[in-house]
Amino acid sequence: MPDPAAATMDLPRRDARDKLQGRTRYTVDRGGAGTLQAVLLRAEVASARILRLDTAKARSMPGVRAIVTAEDAPGRHGIGIADHPLFATGCVRYDGEPLAAVAAETLEQAEAAAAAIAVELEPLPAVIEMAQALTPDAPLVHPDWRDYEVLLAGAARAGNVAWEATVVRGDVDAAFARADVTIVDSVFRVGRQNHLSFEPRAVVASYEDGRFHIETSTQVPWSVRATTAKLLGIAPSQVRVTVPAVGGGFGLKFDCALEPFAALLARASGRPVKLVNSRREEMLTCLCRENAEIRIRSAVTAEGEIVGREAVVLMDCGAYGGEQIFLTTMTAHTLGGNYRLGAVRLASRAVYTNTAPNGAFRACNGVYNTFALERHTDEICAAIGMDRLAFRRRNVLGDGDLGATGQVFEGDVLGPMLDKMVALRAEKPSRAPRAEGRLHGRASVVGTWFVFVGPSAATVNLNPDGSATLVTSGVEIGSGSMVQALPQIVAAELGLKPEDVVVRTADTDAAGYDVGVGGGRTTVSLGAASTAACVEVRRKMLKVAADMLETAPEDLVLAKGRVEIVGIPGSGVTIAEIAARAQSLTGPISGSGAFTGPGVAAMPGCAAGHFIEALDIPVFAVHDCEVAVDPDTGHVEVLAYTVVQDVGRALNRRAIAGQIQGGVVQGLGYALHEEMSIGPDGRILQSGLETYRVPLAEDVVPVEIHLHEGAPSIGPLGVKGAGEVPILNVGAAIACAVADATGRRVQELPLTPPRVLALLREREGPLELAHIAKDWREKVLG
Amino acid sequence: MTALTVNGEERASRSGPMTPLLDVLREEFFLTGAKAVCREGFCGACTVHLDGEPVASCLVPLGAAAGREVRTVEALAAGGLSRLQQAMEDHDAVQCGMCFPGMLMTLTDFLRHTPAPTRAEVKAALAGNICRCTGYERIVDAALDAARSA
Ligand code: FES
Ligand code: FES
Repeated sequence: MPDPAAATMDLPRRDARDKLQGRTRYTVDRGGAGTLQAVLLRAEVASARILRLDTAKARSMPGVRAIVTAEDAPGRHGIGIADHPLFATGCVRYDGEPLAAVAAETLEQAEAAAAAIAVELEPLPAVIEMAQALTPDAPLVHPDWRDYEVLLAGAARAGNVAWEATVVRGDVDAAFARADVTIVDSVFRVGRQNHLSFEPRAVVASYEDGRFHIETSTQVPWSVRATTAKLLGIAPSQVRVTVPAVGGGFGLKFDCALEPFAALLARASGRPVKLVNSRREEMLTCLCRENAEIRIRSAVTAEGEIVGREAVVLMDCGAYGGEQIFLTTMTAHTLGGNYRLGAVRLASRAVYTNTAPNGAFRACNGVYNTFALERHTDEICAAIGMDRLAFRRRNVLGDGDLGATGQVFEGDVLGPMLDKMVALRAEKPSRAPRAEGRLHGRASVVGTWFVFVGPSAATVNLNPDGSATLVTSGVEIGSGSMVQALPQIVAAELGLKPEDVVVRTADTDAAGYDVGVGGGRTTVSLGAASTAACVEVRRKMLKVAADMLETAPEDLVLAKGRVEIVGIPGSGVTIAEIAARAQSLTGPISGSGAFTGPGVAAMPGCAAGHFIEALDIPVFAVHDCEVAVDPDTGHVEVLAYTVVQDVGRALNRRAIAGQIQGGVVQGLGYALHEEMSIGPDGRILQSGLETYRVPLAEDVVPVEIHLHEGAPSIGPLGVKGAGEVPILNVGAAIACAVADATGRRVQELPLTPPRVLALLREREGPLELAHIAKDWREKVLG
Repeated sequence: MTALTVNGEERASRSGPMTPLLDVLREEFFLTGAKAVCREGFCGACTVHLDGEPVASCLVPLGAAAGREVRTVEALAAGGLSRLQQAMEDHDAVQCGMCFPGMLMTLTDFLRHTPAPTRAEVKAALAGNICRCTGYERIVDAALDAARSA
């Protein structure tokens, strides 16, 4: 077992030089001579019956090489339920839904042909808001929902409720009926967040020798392979997916997207086809972090014990279920997380509306549920007159405590992290003087997230020049895992320099299955599979070396590109010599490794409709922030921001700090000014960067970062993924600090200046959410 | 044909005069460093130098670049990374990398005019350059370092 210290370093990124010289070729930069340009014809209404779609005229236009429509792709795909056809089929369910795809010699020709497709639509009533979708006589987004193929059994569904996941543990009614408790009831609402990855979704597809080759900007090559095959009605082995450098993902690219359109066009035309979303298309159809509505109630004793908690979360999945079906699972671990609970019941519902489908975005459902939970926690503290930090310190989950689904948590992690934050607060003077007449507020909040484990495969080839090649389905989306953590791990395992580890980027023809890059899983799952592959390589190397050195393998160590006899430096041979010798005697040395989540147990019978009942690797974070709120304009300035993050073991502290700074800033955008709104006709109103306001350099502060190491983790060398969680607590920290500054009940994000002014001037009454009934039984199906 | 100088070389483009300079660089000359992210002048990822001044090449029609000198990120490293590029690498500033071609063109020009900037000045100079990944601070650190070492 190599020394973990050998894997710990600030390895620079090997992709930085090309990126700094404009040489990196992302998918948007690809597609050579002879590549056709494609566009999608998209519907411009939220709900309609398709009466006619006639492509005859368009097909005869100059330069047009192929047009495909719903007839060419009859299948449906989805997560949990197969509800999503590739093209609008029979009816249109959202503004922006694809109707046809066109490939032509030039983009202008493709656009002209798309515009020439004759479309006749008969408008149908649309449901735009969840409250509307849940009324008893609401039009159904999917009238045939009962007939869809169910891919995971066990969830309640009905009408516009696409999916309902529930948790029931203990006797909540009895807890709420106790005479010694205070009942605190809170409601919250959040809007959508657009990833705005700088590289839009993009693909170049070709069809050669009866197989598809898809070069694409994705986080999930194997999902692209499976979904493309399903929609085209072919075997997945007929699809090869390769992934160049990805220009940002943040979860947007955690689902199959444009690939099947390009594949169909490539087959129909016999030419390579490039399809890239315009920025407007990305804004209007991006798989956003979903808008959500939350009611959470707790029964708390005067001492601060949470004896009962119940909550309902409505998640807008848009016109198709997508990731939201899966993400209903997360409510148990996020809104039901952080604290020890007596009895608990939670319901999380994905609701269909006639709006663009939503998807996964960094720490997905956790970001708004943490906002709701932490604001609710502060409302509890106010109601029972308890200090906010003392309440948290008393109640955070510790070693042996039960989570919402009855999972037993291991180790005291959040408590010591909170203590650390308290100590940090004490060390530095408050920035209150910098508020200069504005309202100063401060908050420390906690959050629980997880590493999404699951299957990964890796192969390591030892080369006769003493280098190693790591082959996986991993993708470099910008987080650095593929260029920093993975070569560091393999190098330490094999006694090589990380520069001598070649890391192959995803090619589904070359590497085994992988769930994909997201959920903080690259370093953990791909790292564990790589470690297992290295174990085999090392065993073979040591056997060859032992023969060469006439000693036992146990007496050998690997370091600095050499194998040495223990205690006798300079005694051994180089790894290059071993590799060359093995190659001539027995053939080249290679090893393969695999990993998957072990499946931590929940309490049987607690959870229904869940994809994950318990967290294999929980990850915790504590954030503290200070804000100044301008009482005249409602503008919120962040004065200081501090993060204590549980990382298990930090392999590359500098890279982790870069992820934390970037993740916090994305969270500041979400908390303060990134607002997506939907017009009454179901169209997203922010169609570009002029109206969708992301953080600029002047909006942000340097985040003070403290890494908490040593918490239990099944990851290789005890690591946990570090890139996903930095955004988790930010909405909560800002909202609680603004509530602290203003003395107002913050119930919504983002806290744009008009919203803050409305709060300060008490222009609107409190948010009510009457459609989420107070009686839990009235608001669940199952 | 429109004649212009690109990275020190005389070039002629057969695109129409209203074609955005960005598309000419990317599609015709295969200089794909400058990126099309918003095409509206907000993100700065397409920034190039036109007669030495940073411009959003998505908003410049080819006709307006006729006879003028264009410099792109591909020409920034002459014989080795520029001081600014080197500082970005040293600070581990790069993530997905899509914003850097534009960031570098903006900052290269800014540091030429403001050799000893304050942190606030660097941030103000980046008002037209968005980065979605890094949270900016390291980019600012690197720019300040590049200025100090100049
Ligand atoms: S692409 Fe030119 S400014 Fe965004
Ligand atoms: S590094 Fe990705 S946009 Fe700046």
